[in-house]
Amino acid sequence: MAAPMAYRRAVCSLARIFVGITKLGTKGLSACGGHRDCRITRSHVPLRWSTSFHTGAVFSSPSSIRVTDEPDTLFQKVSVLVKGHDRAVLDSYEFFATMAAKELGITLDKVFEPPKYIERLTLLKSVHIFKKHMVQYEMRTHYRCIELSRLTGSTAQVYLEYIQRNLPEGVAMEVSKIAMEKVPEHILEPLWKNQPTDRTGQ
Amino acid sequence: MAAPLSAAKALPLLAYARISILCTTSGNRALHLTPGCCKNQAARIRVGKGDRPLTYEQAYHPHDIAHYKGWLSQHTSNLQGEEGAAERTVEDVFIRRFIFGTFHGCQANELVIKRRGNMLIVCALMLQKLPPQKFYFLIGYSESLLSHFYKCPVKLEIQTLQDKAVYKYL
Repeated sequence: MAAPMAYRRAVCSLARIFVGITKLGTKGLSACGGHRDCRITRSHVPLRWSTSFHTGAVFSSPSSIRVTDEPDTLFQKVSVLVKGHDRAVLDSYEFFATMAAKELGITLDKVFEPPKYIERLTLLKSVHIFKKHMVQYEMRTHYRCIELSRLTGSTAQVYLEYIQRNLPEGVAMEVSKIAMEKVPEHILEPLWKNQPTDRTGQ
Repeated sequence: MAAPLSAAKALPLLAYARISILCTTSGNRALHLTPGCCKNQAARIRVGKGDRPLTYEQAYHPHDIAHYKGWLSQHTSNLQGEEGAAERTVEDVFIRRFIFGTFHGCQANELVIKRRGNMLIVCALMLQKLPPQKFYFLIGYSESLLSHFYKCPVKLEIQTLQDKAVYKYL
């Protein structure tokens, strides 16, 4: 019962943060560790476009909160890596993501900047011959990593959805999650504990 | 001692060069051939008489991108580990030509094309050459046509100006 309560609380705090939502149902991301069959909620985003003079935030039916008795997945670590060409954009996005995490009460493990990657190309300047005259281009990819620790599946779902809705253009995100699972019962106890005592020396 | 020697040597050479330039009949003019591609000429407008107005975008050269200029086309396919750069570039080129032709003579500056998730957002600066009703029609027409071409929501965000914003004259 803790999971739906936490989810409801998270959605309420999100409603405070959200300015306007376009009409859509809950777009669930697969929060599963892989082994257990969690419910994967996926709803189709309806295509809706209109001219810039007539757009307005339309609140349709509120997103439904699914209450289940299944225990929620637990994540030991959720690592969000954002990549972009512009360091300033990544700076502001990191500020936004860390502020959102603090508002939702998520513990931030570490926020750091992996070294940038520069891809350089040296190409011929002219269409035909003139090998001595070349042009050099480079493409820089800057990274930023935000690691969150000890989340529930529903918190992670809500946080990631909020973060991804507000991803700026030209910025890509990679999310990796480490889930925690219960140790299977057949390996909880070592085999030799319940062995019969007559053991020949082999 | 080397300097005065070279000066002494240079003078007769200079005199000779001047004489050779003046007399056009003598075939001793030095001709220096360069292959035609030494200079960079990408997206550069050269200095002229001072009457040609330039926008901010035109005034700065491509090596100033990320220093004085931003990016005109923002998508993730040029990042490390991402694909689809060629397709996005072709789409961008088509969109720029399409908008240039649809709003003929009204474009004040280069388009800025952004991709957010599934959506294509085209931001344009236009001159106030057409009445607003025609603008609305052309915006709706280009949005619906482009979204049918690219199978994704396309939004056009247009701002209008009286005249082009001039940054400097070259």
